[in-house]
Amino acid sequence: MEKMGVPCVPMATQAFKDLAKSNAGKRGMPHARIVFTPHPVWGKTPEQLMVYVEGNDPVTGKPMIKEIVDDLTTPVAEEDKKSGMADVSVGPPVFGPETADNLQKYFLDNGMTDFLPIILPTEEKVNAMLQGTSHHPDEVVGKMAAGAFAPWTFTVKQVAVNAVMAGCEPDYFPVLLAIASSGMAALGSSTTSFAYSAVINGPIRDKLNMNYGLGALSPFAQSNATIGRSWTLMGKNLTPGGVPGDTYQGGQGNNLDYNNLVIAEDEKNSPWTPLHVQLGFKPEENVVSLFGGPDVRQGHGAKGAGVAENAMFDEQISYMFHSMVGDGALVICDPLVAKHLVEQGYDTKEKLSDWLWKNTVRTAKEFRESFLAYVHLYPLALQGREPYAAWYKLADDTLVPFFPRVSDINFVVCGGQANAFFQVANMRHGRSASIDKWM
Amino acid sequence: MKMNRRDLLSLLGVSPALLATPPAHAQQTKTAHAAAPSTEQKFEALNPKGTPPPVRLVPMAPRLDTLSGKTIYLVDTGFMGGGTFLQQMQIWFGKNMPDVTTVFRKKAGAYPEEDPALWKEIKEKGNAAIMAIGH
Repeated sequence: MEKMGVPCVPMATQAFKDLAKSNAGKRGMPHARIVFTPHPVWGKTPEQLMVYVEGNDPVTGKPMIKEIVDDLTTPVAEEDKKSGMADVSVGPPVFGPETADNLQKYFLDNGMTDFLPIILPTEEKVNAMLQGTSHHPDEVVGKMAAGAFAPWTFTVKQVAVNAVMAGCEPDYFPVLLAIASSGMAALGSSTTSFAYSAVINGPIRDKLNMNYGLGALSPFAQSNATIGRSWTLMGKNLTPGGVPGDTYQGGQGNNLDYNNLVIAEDEKNSPWTPLHVQLGFKPEENVVSLFGGPDVRQGHGAKGAGVAENAMFDEQISYMFHSMVGDGALVICDPLVAKHLVEQGYDTKEKLSDWLWKNTVRTAKEFRESFLAYVHLYPLALQGREPYAAWYKLADDTLVPFFPRVSDINFVVCGGQANAFFQVANMRHGRSASIDKWM
Repeated sequence: MKMNRRDLLSLLGVSPALLATPPAHAQQTKTAHAAAPSTEQKFEALNPKGTPPPVRLVPMAPRLDTLSGKTIYLVDTGFMGGGTFLQQMQIWFGKNMPDVTTVFRKKAGAYPEEDPALWKEIKEKGNAAIMAIGH
């Protein structure tokens, strides 16, 4: 609005004070006239909100309406009329020389770690990491940002620094470059405390000794652990993200953020087509597919999926979908689960996704009253985006699928076949990237 | 246009301590170590940070001389409670500043997206805007 010559007062709740001011600065208006309300406004009655309107801005202590009127009528200071560009530094290219302990503390104190000890990224170790790719160290890999912040760019070498810090081996490096090239950050900014998952397919899983068997999702393989950790460090260091109160607002946070949900799909023991082939890649290609969403929950049993006499799987998973706030599902099946489902007729992942999509439904009224719809999907309906625009025109009792597209329900297979368990990540597929491109 | 680098770093959420070489605390430790003989090996470590884009300063729009007789758009930019809050503000203006016309709108599109049609309407029909995000 200001760019168009229209004076504007942005408003946010007090909880977003630092974020709002910081983001205004990053977008070139460091003295934007922002007015704050008490926090939260969500769940308050109109009468309670009128008290807010008639009360004070909790940040400045000034009467809110008077502050708004002043902000719209007080002439702009000369320094706020200026235009132009200003470079921003993030410090020197090298820290030290210092002792290892002091450098560890320096990285920790300056928010460059996940608060676990790191491998110090010396020139020697970074150069060794760079041997894991044929790409030039100065090649720009891409841009990355968490949330709506202006993205940062980064080079192959800058990714290598973070890979060293996480404890990665040079052989893992093409996977990290593929993840980085996607532009998808592993630290979101949402109050929903999003988590992220990287599904890795192709022969590279065995080359890197990735664990897709017993304890596949637990800390039993260096590659699984450090690839995920590196993604989080990239989110902190290669983007403006990961600063609590500023670019990170996850209310409770998410333990998965430490090293994310890294899944090497068990292509050998799965009776189904691997995920990357479903997405159009060749079986021999190495691919990483990235997902994001709020949480993961566990289900027991593999029987059912539409079989009336033993409907454990479908009942559980349908129940899980109904309690999800995100807009996609990544179902992680132990091979035992997948094999049972094949015996019951679901010989492809697509058949199972289709069954779940058609049979996990809610009324249009329930959809419209859901958190996700109110916050994120109604504004899309206003733009005419389907299926949401159509769903807002339906009668209250019309049944609609829980997720907008059948492709929002994905399956991967891993696990040690110790029992027929599955997990459902409330995560939607974001992007897939070729690992081979970065070898 | 020169800007204070320390201020800009703060706005970017980056510690201004990053500007110091060697780090401030390391210097203190170094001083402490200097008093006692030490053979501990020292290293250099590479900065893991990416490259932020330059900040393009945006001039603020000229302000109004008064709100009387003007039209102010109240724009709900998304999230919970913001719309209800602005509707209360609209009631307040109606009662207390009746010579100000207020128009309530909900922005279309995902929360970080622009709404060009609404911006055009405000530019053509409005004099100012108050934009609120809920939570």
